[in-house]
Amino acid sequence: MGSDRVTLKIPRPLYERLRCVIEGTGFRSVNEFVVHVLRDLVAEAEESSPALTPEEIRIIRERLRKLGYL
Amino acid sequence: MHKVLVIGLDCFDPGLVEEFLPELPVLGRLIGAGEFHRLQSVDPPTTVPAWMCAFTGKDPGELGVYGFRNRVDHSYEGLHIVTSETFRAPTVWDELGRMGLRSIVVGVPGTYPPRPLRGLLVSGFLTPSTDHDYTFPRSLKFRIERVVGKYLVDVRNFRTEDKGHIIEEVYRMTERRFKLMAALLSEEGWDLATFVEMGPDRLHHALWAHHDRAHPKHDPQSPYVDAIRDYYRYVDERIGELLELVPDSTQVIVMSDHGIQAMYGGIAVNEWLIRGGYLGLKEYPEEPTPMRELIERGLVDWSQTVAWGEGGYYGRIFLNVRGREPQGTVPPGEYEAVRRELAEGLSAITDERGEPLGTRVLFPEEIYREVRGIPPDLIVYFGDLRWRSIGSVGWGEIHRHENDTGPDDANHAPYGVFIAFPPLAGDPPTLVDIHDLILNYFR
Repeated sequence: MGSDRVTLKIPRPLYERLRCVIEGTGFRSVNEFVVHVLRDLVAEAEESSPALTPEEIRIIRERLRKLGYL
Repeated sequence: MHKVLVIGLDCFDPGLVEEFLPELPVLGRLIGAGEFHRLQSVDPPTTVPAWMCAFTGKDPGELGVYGFRNRVDHSYEGLHIVTSETFRAPTVWDELGRMGLRSIVVGVPGTYPPRPLRGLLVSGFLTPSTDHDYTFPRSLKFRIERVVGKYLVDVRNFRTEDKGHIIEEVYRMTERRFKLMAALLSEEGWDLATFVEMGPDRLHHALWAHHDRAHPKHDPQSPYVDAIRDYYRYVDERIGELLELVPDSTQVIVMSDHGIQAMYGGIAVNEWLIRGGYLGLKEYPEEPTPMRELIERGLVDWSQTVAWGEGGYYGRIFLNVRGREPQGTVPPGEYEAVRRELAEGLSAITDERGEPLGTRVLFPEEIYREVRGIPPDLIVYFGDLRWRSIGSVGWGEIHRHENDTGPDDANHAPYGVFIAFPPLAGDPPTLVDIHDLILNYFR
């Protein structure tokens, strides 16, 4: 048994719903689909650093200035 | 297990609650059978970091967050906007999550971008726009649109003389936030639900002179003399509707992060530093220019600069220390003496007639339990916050009665509101006690 994989438990009703969701898609199993979604989620969280883009900083700074905070 | 509902109203003022109380039946009922205290805010009493101080139980020094923007290093350009990642201390909803309890958190300033929690989160008014991901989980965003249509994180186009527009916008924002809360409170399982409504703050700043008969700019003929009173009545009704949706046993807290008071003008802090020989410019700007722009354009002569200041509802002074700032001039051995000299000078600024302003100058290490990150060297409350700090340069004078960021006749006051039903605190709490009050309720 390799130690590079672990077992996660999810509620059965959720599992059944996910099975319906992937019906007719390229995903061969709920397992494969869940790993795909979670990988995407983690990658996004890592990519979103730093927290604010230059455009977001510009929008927030302008708002704070107009509100009188700066 | 009982539930806790925290109704956060930014800038909701204890003096106004007392004044309007006969017309606020819901708050009147809560106060009558519960408790009502003035809630001492933090220094500085400003939305960021105040709300996160309440929900983490840490003061600004412990959080290392001294305002909306913070120094992250000792460079001259190093002021960075605060995000949820700036706040490292666990929030009360993080801690409840560990206990297996579920929270609904809506509109708390300092929660963008949203971090995962056991429950739901809608980030606060520092959210760039609703086109961004401002909820956890992300799918909540679509549900919000179904419930309220366009969700308003804040009022749009705040700095305008069109007071009618601001009033309409504030009501629209408040109505939608309460509508969202009503939906979440009735459709979700929750243990703690907390939200922050920005409307009171926006309305106070925009309409203070219309309300305050003693304010120099007050016009008794203004159609808006009762606008703030009417809004408090409106909020009271909305609170009443929410309370209909929660179990009778719910611990209810109505609170604010600070209060409001009249503002009479601004002190151009960098003009004062220039006149005192503390701040050197390569050339004096022809028109009023933000300090940040002068720094970015390389117009500050750092070799001739002892200190520079930041504007806002309160002032911040940064010393240019040798070995600390890139082109520091103040020898470390003289730091304390220079800082005291500046504090005395700032405290002595009078109004135009030579009357004392009553300015208070605070030293971070004296007011915080711990000083983390990079604090300002001095925190200045001009006229004890009856005057604001103006950072821009080019006015040719120190006293200003028109704000550099648009019309505004009010500043923050150091006491907010704490109403609990049933009674929860006993003695008057301070803002940083809120975290423990909530947590202990569930323990």
